Amino acid sequence: MLWFLRGLRRGIVTTRYPAGTRDRWTDALPSAPAFRAAALTAALADRLEAACPSGAIRRRPNLLSVDLGACTGCGRCIDVGGGAVVESGEFLLAARRREDLIKQVPIDADPERGR
Amino acid sequence: MIDGPHERDHELDTTAAELRRRALSLFGRSLHIRTVDTGSCAVCESEIRLLAAPHYDLHRLGFFFTPAPRHADLLLVTGPAVRAFDDALSEVVAATPDPKATIAVGACALGGIYEADAFVHGAVDRVVPVDVYVPGCPPSPLALLHGLLVAVGRLAERVSRLSLELDPSNP
Repeated sequence: MLWFLRGLRRGIVTTRYPAGTRDRWTDALPSAPAFRAAALTAALADRLEAACPSGAIRRRPNLLSVDLGACTGCGRCIDVGGGAVVESGEFLLAARRREDLIKQVPIDADPERGR
Repeated sequence: MIDGPHERDHELDTTAAELRRRALSLFGRSLHIRTVDTGSCAVCESEIRLLAAPHYDLHRLGFFFTPAPRHADLLLVTGPAVRAFDDALSEVVAATPDPKATIAVGACALGGIYEADAFVHGAVDRVVPVDVYVPGCPPSPLALLHGLLVAVGRLAERVSRLSLELDPSNP
């Protein structure tokens, strides 16, 4: 019985996941990056590819390919992105197919913008 | 009209997939997990161990760890599949009774960190069939729980519908 009282005193609370609402502390977890496509210029895409240490972000013609399976959540793309890249808050990323983890974001085609 | 060989193959494939899905859903109530480290840095193991801590308490969901692959229903495989571990990995997979499920855990196991070379295969699914991929470096225990629940069919995966492009009307 003492262990029960000790647990109460120390405030250990078991998460209700998968039931209930999302625990608030999970906002602090590293999560996949999300991109504001309107601010994603070709020059920025090159810088993002260069900044990604695990090669998760790859520059393709008119596209940014982001492999969530390779992303380590280091946040360097967010530092480089200057507001064009933010944390998505998504970390429940289990996939049945590996290719489902590879996402594509269009790069702004207007070469004059963002120079 | 007689089915062509390809149609029959397809039919067999779907029957096999259906059988497999039903067998895995049997695991939904109780499942024993064996962890397999194929050369990880041990941070994934640290997160896996946290699943048994009071905050996550995976036992309340009917999941248990077992030290023996012969008692396991599911393998949690971490690391980039180092070649030196090939024999041990194939023995663990062979010793785990069918039907079984395999989850690749972490960016290394998913092929995100190491290229295939003389020392590593670079991804777990190059060596053993993988049912569920759990990304993260390391994945949070909640992400691992989500992966386990996806593997036994208690939750649907969400990532295939996820878009990384923010809605321009909702910045």
